[in-house]
Amino acid sequence: MKHLGKSGLAAAAAAALLLSGCSGQSLEGNNDKAAEGAVTLKIAFWGDMGLDKLKTQYEAAHPNVKIVLNSGEYNAQHEDLQKKLVAGSGAPDISAIDEGFIVQFRSQADKFVNFMDKGGADYEAKYLPWKWKQSLSSDGKQIGLGTDVGGLAMCYRSDLFQKAGLPTDREAVSKLWTNWDDFINVGKQYTAKTGKKFIDSGTNMFNPVLSQQAVGFYDESEKLQMEGGPKVAFDVSMKAVDAGISANLASFQPNWDQGFKKDQFAVLACPAWMLGHIQDTAPEQKGKWDIAAIPGGGGNWGGSWWTIPSQGKNVDAAADFVKWLVAPEQQIEVFKTVGNLPSQPALYKDAAVLDYKKEFMSNAPTGQIFAATAEQLKPQYLGKKNGPTRVAVENVITQVQQGKLKSANAWAEAVKQAEKASTS
Amino acid sequence: MSLTQLRPSPQHAAPPPKPNRAKLWLYRFDTKATPYIFIAPFFIIFTIFGLFPIIFNAIVSLRTWRLDDPDKDGWAGFDNFSKLLSDSDFWNALYNTIGIFILSTVPQLLLALILANLLNRKLSGQTFWRIGILLPYLTPVVASTLVFAVFFARDSGMANWFLSLVGYGQEQPLDWRADKWSSWIAIATMVNWKWIGYNALLYLSAMQAIPKDVYEAAAVDGAGPWRQLWRITVPMIQPVVVFTVILSTIGGLQLFNEPMMFDENPQSASGGSAHQFQTIAVMIYKVGWKDLNLGYAAAISWALFLLILIVAAINATLTKRIGGDR
Repeated sequence: MKHLGKSGLAAAAAAALLLSGCSGQSLEGNNDKAAEGAVTLKIAFWGDMGLDKLKTQYEAAHPNVKIVLNSGEYNAQHEDLQKKLVAGSGAPDISAIDEGFIVQFRSQADKFVNFMDKGGADYEAKYLPWKWKQSLSSDGKQIGLGTDVGGLAMCYRSDLFQKAGLPTDREAVSKLWTNWDDFINVGKQYTAKTGKKFIDSGTNMFNPVLSQQAVGFYDESEKLQMEGGPKVAFDVSMKAVDAGISANLASFQPNWDQGFKKDQFAVLACPAWMLGHIQDTAPEQKGKWDIAAIPGGGGNWGGSWWTIPSQGKNVDAAADFVKWLVAPEQQIEVFKTVGNLPSQPALYKDAAVLDYKKEFMSNAPTGQIFAATAEQLKPQYLGKKNGPTRVAVENVITQVQQGKLKSANAWAEAVKQAEKASTS
Repeated sequence: MSLTQLRPSPQHAAPPPKPNRAKLWLYRFDTKATPYIFIAPFFIIFTIFGLFPIIFNAIVSLRTWRLDDPDKDGWAGFDNFSKLLSDSDFWNALYNTIGIFILSTVPQLLLALILANLLNRKLSGQTFWRIGILLPYLTPVVASTLVFAVFFARDSGMANWFLSLVGYGQEQPLDWRADKWSSWIAIATMVNWKWIGYNALLYLSAMQAIPKDVYEAAAVDGAGPWRQLWRITVPMIQPVVVFTVILSTIGGLQLFNEPMMFDENPQSASGGSAHQFQTIAVMIYKVGWKDLNLGYAAAISWALFLLILIVAAINATLTKRIGGDR
């Protein structure tokens, strides 16, 4: 009897759990419908996209709309979105997607609201053409409206440059390196004089150079093109590694963050959003950083879109909010708050962008610098397998930096790994 | 059993007061069905969270399911499995998994056994030590792995600082992630650190059940502490040893967090620049969520499942032999 009593208790407890689970759900449902016509929009993104103030503003203007902001970790947010799309439910009403993931989601366009059906066609002319194209599926569905772009510039430590006897003025520094060979030569000078490394990693040479090429890993017919742009970028990165100017640090890792503080590198290819990262990682280096033009001109790294998963219940309200969010006033507001550069070229002529100076970066006119590089950019098609292919080639560069592979044999290995990734 | 015996069988039921049919039905229901209802929650939950995923996974492994190419969905037969056999990445991951598994499981269980033996003696602050060894187990694995990733850093990592004390790596500090042997040692260290205390406590609890007079008799016969450990303690706690061996086999072969987070670029899930320490679990993650090939990922999962079954069976047989045949 005692045993029966125990298991009975357990069963009762289990039943109670099940019941409470159900009632919890129904309660939630009731709350949603409590206010007549009320709509709750859940927005997923990463880091800080400057939405806090805009949220209050929009809610005040639209009393029936409640906005819930969910800021998470960059990779986790994208992977979570992917899982919810597979599951068919649970996705946020609005989700930010970064350039690194846009290809993956573009090929699942059926799972997103097509902005072409929501009057999005009017927006095409407002955007940088390549930005518009990147989120466009092969059958012409527009899955998102662009918010920011990551126009590239070159950040440098003016204090370290001074010690090495290099010019520190941003105009003069820009003139030092009109192309990447010059850049590597400056690095050699720096390393010879100070005994310290110049750049953080060979992969951070490869990526910006690749983004400046007309064709990246894949052409528009999804064919792997290693001998074109990738070869140029790979050679530059190998030259830099062989010159001994690379600190061989993997980006965004603890070693890299330490590298900032310990002056292990003096330059960093930086898109607009990188400024926030430098500021967070090494706040004591305020005024020691400055921004010059990137060798070779132009280039893009990152930047995001606002998308609406079609499984949501309030897609119309979500579309209204996204359209409001990408309107000029709000984009400028975001630029001022967090520094993300808008993707609509008309705004690059706006005084608010042009006059903006970043105090942390020695008062550099970041608005002007980044706008200029974003406009110069040659559009590049990102293939379906762009992500895995890039990782495979980056790994080969890392192997060279680790001394596992001779730079002379590296290109053959890179081609082999890229081909493997292209069929993965 | 006692309940069923006490119950009068229907034939022998006293006839005079006609049995109430509803009551009789309730009575039967109670004796026949109730036990099943009581054990049902486990089976229901197991079916939903255990059995269903396994079967679903098996079905997915026979299909082409690519997230980046929804048009290609369809039955693939055994394509995913034949791809697996010719995939050098898979064999490399298998090699890494087994290598790291041996490097982590063997020292882990041996050290746990010795530690438990030490804790089984009279010590001052006994509870403190016993709780103390469990602390690594309580630390979230992601947190501890991040700390270890810094510990094993190439520049200014603590591990390299220790090495420099004995004069190693003055000019060229050891890059722990660069080679198979060094990365395996680093990862095995993380696993050992986490699980030694947990296994030691399990062994300790089993050791406390061994009667003291057995040891006294052995001591009288002249057996030293080392001989006592191997000839008395280990055979007598053998069921727990089998349990820990199977558990660490499952855990060791599914190793994911440590190699994933140890990577220089964890986002890539490539397990090192040349997959030096990519385990099967990390490879499943990469194939599924980075290459977006869910069908192939499911096939690798099944291969891992079979591998664990085989290795666990071998280990259990071996371990049983240690104590049983003596």
